[in-house]
Amino acid sequence: MTRKTRRLWLACACLMGLGSATALTLNAFSSNIVFFMAPSQIRAKPPAPDRTVRLGGMVVAGSVRRQTVRDTPVALFDVTDGQAAVTVRYEGILPDLFREGQSVVAIGTAGPDGAFHASEVLAKHDETYMPKEVAEALRRSGKWDPRYGKAPDAASWDTMTVRDARRDAASPQHGS
Amino acid sequence: MNATHSLVARTGAVFHRYANPGRFLRLGARLQPWLTWPALALSIAGIVWGLFFSPADWQQGDSVRIMYVHVPAAWLASSGYAGLAVCSLLSLVWRHPLADLAAVEIGPVGAAITAVCLATGSLWGKPMWGTWWVWDARLTSVLVLFFLYLGHIALIRAFDEPQRGYRAAAILGLAGAVDLPIIKFSVQWWNTLHQPDSITLTGAPTMSTAMLWPLLVCTLGFTLGFAAIVVARLRAAVMESRIRAALSARRGRGRAAPDSAHDSDVPGGAVA
Amino acid sequence: MSMTHLPYIAAAYGLTIGLAVLLGATAALRLRRARARLAAIDRPARAGRGENR
Repeated sequence: MTRKTRRLWLACACLMGLGSATALTLNAFSSNIVFFMAPSQIRAKPPAPDRTVRLGGMVVAGSVRRQTVRDTPVALFDVTDGQAAVTVRYEGILPDLFREGQSVVAIGTAGPDGAFHASEVLAKHDETYMPKEVAEALRRSGKWDPRYGKAPDAASWDTMTVRDARRDAASPQHGS
Repeated sequence: MNATHSLVARTGAVFHRYANPGRFLRLGARLQPWLTWPALALSIAGIVWGLFFSPADWQQGDSVRIMYVHVPAAWLASSGYAGLAVCSLLSLVWRHPLADLAAVEIGPVGAAITAVCLATGSLWGKPMWGTWWVWDARLTSVLVLFFLYLGHIALIRAFDEPQRGYRAAAILGLAGAVDLPIIKFSVQWWNTLHQPDSITLTGAPTMSTAMLWPLLVCTLGFTLGFAAIVVARLRAAVMESRIRAALSARRGRGRAAPDSAHDSDVPGGAVA
Repeated sequence: MSMTHLPYIAAAYGLTIGLAVLLGATAALRLRRARARLAAIDRPARAGRGENR
């Protein structure tokens, strides 16, 4: 029995040693593990112009300008983390989920003009899942505008059914 | 020290009682229908519910239905590995024969479900994020989990002498458990493209109940299915080891004098 | 009924169901074969032992 106890302690000790080694390693490489940098980080410490970085944040409502330059669609939009905003220029087709108020990750380089030249734009959706009808009802009642941030607390809508939402939509005096 | 000593002894005794392969065969035979049929019924119900009777998401459209297979697969990939780690501990500390057999059988099933998680995630990421794959912390740590499973599968079968394979694989299985908290908390510790968890133990789910229910039904169904497949494979493995032991005993008996047949009367004695 | 992103959804579900069926079927087959073989081995062994005693 003592041998079993010893083996148990040995296994625990090895696991704790391995765990702390991993934790220290991850902590040391933490800045490389983050998938993207926030606009305020890029503003505070601008990366070298030839270095590819990932910029993540929310698309500012009303900042999206779309043009067509030589048959390619070009989009200009501001990305913010609430503290700073960076203008992003992207040539190409934006993902389906791209919209104002959406979180996006733009991969590219910071140009000398202060704008961020993205070679790729990824849409990052949040952890809220709600039926189309519920979102529509929330928007109509003025409780939530998706262009200005995250959905309200789930407790206020997660029991709303599609039928409730349709009924609410049918009675127009809902939005006070 | 004395308290831990007796605790270890008692835990060992409990495990020995239930890990007796003969007892496991009887228990498994009784358990199997209670796992298999509910698993089938719940999985089919959850899939049909998720595919046809749950609402589309307001921004993801119908692609949100991939969640009903992706999320249960992700949870099972992690909990399957947790099971593997427990087997590894039982094998290393208590030298449990049934834990070794269970580790052999959990490995491929866990690897398959992790592959499902990665593939369905990719199929969901392409239309939603705009990419099949990114090297963010969540996706990478799950890929590491997949390789841990593959390494375990290879290692446990790599030695001519099975006991050495069991030992080596158990060490890998236990060490790899470090990846589980990394997977769980990756979306909180670092910026990732992957969104944070919608369902947590501590907070209300940020998901409509119309989507939550089919997800829970699918999860329960898949979990029972995972258990049913592992139990079936483990029962088969115990039977196969008995067959091997019986055949080698018979071969031994054939060579020995007929009178000594009574003494070596232990078909499957090595494992039973 | 029309779904958005149908090819992706179909591929995801097809893959999941396909792999589940494959795993389940191989496990069931393996269990059946092992049970049959064990029964076949056990029967003559028991009979032989009975004669010896």
